[in-house]
Amino acid sequence: MSNQLLVLALLALPLAGFALTAAFGRLLMPRAWLIAVPAVILAWAVGMVLVYRTLSGQLGDGFAFTLYTWIPAGSFRVDVNFAVDNLTAALLIVVTTIGMLVHVYSIGYMAHDPGKWRFFAYLNFFMFSMLLLVLAGNYLLLFMAWELVGLSSYLLIGFWYQRRSAALAAKKAFLVNRVGDVGFSIGIWALWTTVGSLNFSDVFRVIPEKLAAGQLQPWMVTGIVLLLFCGAVGKSAQFPLHVWLPDAMEGPTPVSALIHAATMVNAGVYMVARSSPLFSLSSSAMVVVAAIGIFTALLAASIAFTQTDIKRVLAYSTLSQLGYMFAALGVGAYAAAIFHLMTHGFFKGLLFLDSGSVIHGVHDEQDMNRMGGLWRKMPITHATMLVGSLAIAGIPPLAGFFSKDEILGASFRNGFYVVWLIGVVVAGMTAFYMFRLMGKTFYGPSHVDPDVHPHEAPPSMTVPLILLAIPAALLGLAIGWPPEAGLVHRWLDPIFAPAEQTLGLHPEAFQVFGIDGVLVLVSVTLATAGLIVAVRLFGVRLPGRDVEPRPTIVEAGTARLRPLYVASYHKWWFDDVYHGLFFVIGGAVAQGAWWFDSHIIDGVVNGVGAVTTLAGRELRRIQTGRVQNYALGIALGLLVMAAGFLVATTR
Amino acid sequence: MSHSLDAYLILSALLFCVGMFGFLARRNAIAMLMSIELMLNAVNLTIVAFGAFVPALTVHASAIALMVISVAAGEATVGLAIVIAIFRNRRTPLVDEYDRMRE
Repeated sequence: MSNQLLVLALLALPLAGFALTAAFGRLLMPRAWLIAVPAVILAWAVGMVLVYRTLSGQLGDGFAFTLYTWIPAGSFRVDVNFAVDNLTAALLIVVTTIGMLVHVYSIGYMAHDPGKWRFFAYLNFFMFSMLLLVLAGNYLLLFMAWELVGLSSYLLIGFWYQRRSAALAAKKAFLVNRVGDVGFSIGIWALWTTVGSLNFSDVFRVIPEKLAAGQLQPWMVTGIVLLLFCGAVGKSAQFPLHVWLPDAMEGPTPVSALIHAATMVNAGVYMVARSSPLFSLSSSAMVVVAAIGIFTALLAASIAFTQTDIKRVLAYSTLSQLGYMFAALGVGAYAAAIFHLMTHGFFKGLLFLDSGSVIHGVHDEQDMNRMGGLWRKMPITHATMLVGSLAIAGIPPLAGFFSKDEILGASFRNGFYVVWLIGVVVAGMTAFYMFRLMGKTFYGPSHVDPDVHPHEAPPSMTVPLILLAIPAALLGLAIGWPPEAGLVHRWLDPIFAPAEQTLGLHPEAFQVFGIDGVLVLVSVTLATAGLIVAVRLFGVRLPGRDVEPRPTIVEAGTARLRPLYVASYHKWWFDDVYHGLFFVIGGAVAQGAWWFDSHIIDGVVNGVGAVTTLAGRELRRIQTGRVQNYALGIALGLLVMAAGFLVATTR
Repeated sequence: MSHSLDAYLILSALLFCVGMFGFLARRNAIAMLMSIELMLNAVNLTIVAFGAFVPALTVHASAIALMVISVAAGEATVGLAIVIAIFRNRRTPLVDEYDRMRE
């Protein structure tokens, strides 16, 4: 098959799956997945062929082609065109693989849901939108796909729309994303007015040229990239628009794994990485990106400390890891950011699917205070989740270690010492809260409802877990070794070379026995310290080594750090502040505007109408229909005229 | 006073008032048409009187008066035809009953 056909097939398969499932899914019912899952498995196969062709270098710098002209409006012309290069391929690996595994997993997880045909239709639709997003060759098509993934996210968060909290969470996610998208769309408009084209290749060529020629002020470039970054902040849930992601956990767990951990929330990272030739032109914008990223990492990690809902802990850890990626983008470590995106996609997808298996096993209980002691009852879930937790904690040689240390190392070497310092601290925090989660869920004393008998999940769920645990464990070693020179760098460095050149970064060899080795040692030490503290407090059970949890110490510690605990538990009151700011005050302003509209504006319009109606009603009385009355009028008119004539002539 | 212009004008004014009063006061459509004729003739009288007393107007006044007479004849014909048509429809000559125009 030609490459173009591959791209089209990759998009058409999930789209067809969506259309067929939406149309006939009800008829397939109890096996509503019969079309959707094979469609995505086929798409995965197609995607892998495309990825292989791209990454093996057969296609050189990748390829681009135009399908048709989308908007031919005079000088405003936008094509539907696709661009495939190594960056796209890296994203395709994550999206198609995790997408496929999540689809398979959903067969088991959604087995008892009466509306699951809807679920599979939406899931296919999401796959289509996400693939369109990574394959798009211009900003407008990217933006459309960006909105489509937002729509499918909305539909899937609110999948159990009978639950009020789910409906509200879906609405919140959609609205918060709108805030960022306003900036994004203005940024795209600004690109159009300065460049006259929205194709990536044109934009990345023209903007630096114009800047060099002095036709474009540096502050304009900063403005444009910051507007684009607004969209990324919304989609990837960075501070201050991070509030939607934890609430998005109201959706079914496979959705949380696929959309709100492994793929869609990475769209912002992808977009910023894709726009690296623009971002690198503005050092101040880069600093903003790095600052927001690392601040979100710290903020989210601090909240994850005290949450008791298993999925919310994972949601905050997702925020935190996305913060790492933005920090990496901000310090100019683009390849490291995409590397972390890939590893994070796998281990966070795994963690979410594990949490889904746990929730499924204890009959839809999400509160970790009502779990415990599950390690014996759910051995496969426990083992795979342990792998995922070690990976995210950054314990070598699992995947998270390689990607996280590349980010931290790059921040240090590129001179962002504060980013490095916070990043290392967050690494320790990550290990702590992940093993707090593990302890409370799997090791501590059982608080499970006595009527509930926890059980291991069916094979359709455990097989994807095992398949995801493999990359979560080994992906870092496979593509990240040797450090700074692994496969992922061979793939991505050519893409980011122009940006790195603009920034004046010179890739240096990794010094195991120099500064880099020390940095790795520091971060691993901190991560291990966090892990050990958590294990000491919340317990662990491994072959040959059992540690009992110590709830009294936990309570004493919380009591001593009461203010911090309360702040973390209440998520630093962001939701409350936003509620006051936008719901109460904003609502009052809206009410006022509504009153003004309905009383003043409508009052004027209705008043004009009322006066006309009244005048008509009163004036129609003179239309009696009687000839004599009209004649009297004529006669009176005549008299008046005559009198007027007389007065005028005798004067 | 019999050969002054004023006498003719006063007469025609009186005639006009009689006609107007008839038109406004009578309810019978035929009588109202007759009143109209009266008013037209009052006007005609004025015109002819001006023609008789103002030498420059003699020819014009006659022409205008003739025109008015012929228009009055046509008007009477058409008016009567309408009245008869309405009468056939409504079985009454009284214009009070002709209030369909309101609707």
